[in-house]
Amino acid sequence: MSKKGTSSFILQRASAVVLAPLSIWFLFAIVSALTADYATARAWLAAPWNAALVGGFFIIGALHMRIGMAEIIVDYIHSWLKDVLLFINWLAALGLIAAAAWSIYIISFVG
Amino acid sequence: MADGAASERPLSPHLQIWRFTVTLAASITHRISGAVLYGGLLLMALWLIGLAFNPALFATASAIIHSAPGFILIVGFVWSLLFHLMNGLRHLYWDYGRGFALKTATMTAWLVYIAATLATALIIWAGYGGGA
Ligand code: HEM
Ligand code: HEM
Repeated sequence: MSKKGTSSFILQRASAVVLAPLSIWFLFAIVSALTADYATARAWLAAPWNAALVGGFFIIGALHMRIGMAEIIVDYIHSWLKDVLLFINWLAALGLIAAAAWSIYIISFVG
Repeated sequence: MADGAASERPLSPHLQIWRFTVTLAASITHRISGAVLYGGLLLMALWLIGLAFNPALFATASAIIHSAPGFILIVGFVWSLLFHLMNGLRHLYWDYGRGFALKTATMTAWLVYIAATLATALIIWAGYGGGA
């Protein structure tokens, strides 16, 4: 258990270090997103660099947010509900990775 | 929730017994902004799915984003990301063993609130056409 806690601690920090520059880039993406239409957005995401960075942001973000939310759940919930929420938390992170990877794959390679 | 017998882990100290300090506020805001970003990423996954598979879903997202509640959502997300990012750097600096002096911690906490708010205003202004 303590071993698992340590690796979560390290992964939480390592993912934060990677997310910091990605987030700054991501904010610029959101700025341009606010005024684009469907075709523009799709063309933008089909560019390999944009696809890779959006994918990276979502996958590393999912790892980071799963650990962070688990910490919040464990701090406040002490009943059986805790395990249910921790499980949902896992599903949400996995779903996020799957949704991002699949969508980007379709846009990049299937069209 | 905690029925006494079942919880061996100590509870976090009760929030009511604290006096307001900006460092405490920043610590709570870090947690809240993390939760906001959690929800934001899930919403954005919907946007990605709409972009890949479903133009109608994308059109709905577009309508939402151009409504007043959508505007508040965007501002909230941008501010949360900026605050969490900057305050996260504070956390990483602490993990490295630096920045604990009370004066330093208080100053950097104020700085994060102010910088996050200014940068949000700038980004929203640029995003909605002010800079274009
Ligand atoms: C992608 C969006 C992000 C999400 C969804 C997210 C989510 C979270 C959550 C839920 C927590 C737990 C908060 C708590 O325990 O009180 C957390 C903690 C943390 N986040 Fe993030 N975060 C994101 C981006 C970032 C970025 C860009 C950084 C860059 C510095 C960062 C740095 C940290 C650090 C250092 C912690 C640990 C704080 C502590 O020691 O308690 N996060 N995050
Ligand atoms: C994964 C996160 C997101 C990324 C990387 C992103 C990126 C983009 C990009 C690059 C464009 C086209 C910009 C251009 O080339 O000018 C765009 C358009 C758009 N995005 Fe996003 N966006 C994201 C999240 C969202 C979210 C959460 C929403 C709303 C719920 C949204 C709504 C829109 C809309 C509505 C457009 C078209 C705007 C219009 O038709 O007026 N996006 N996005």
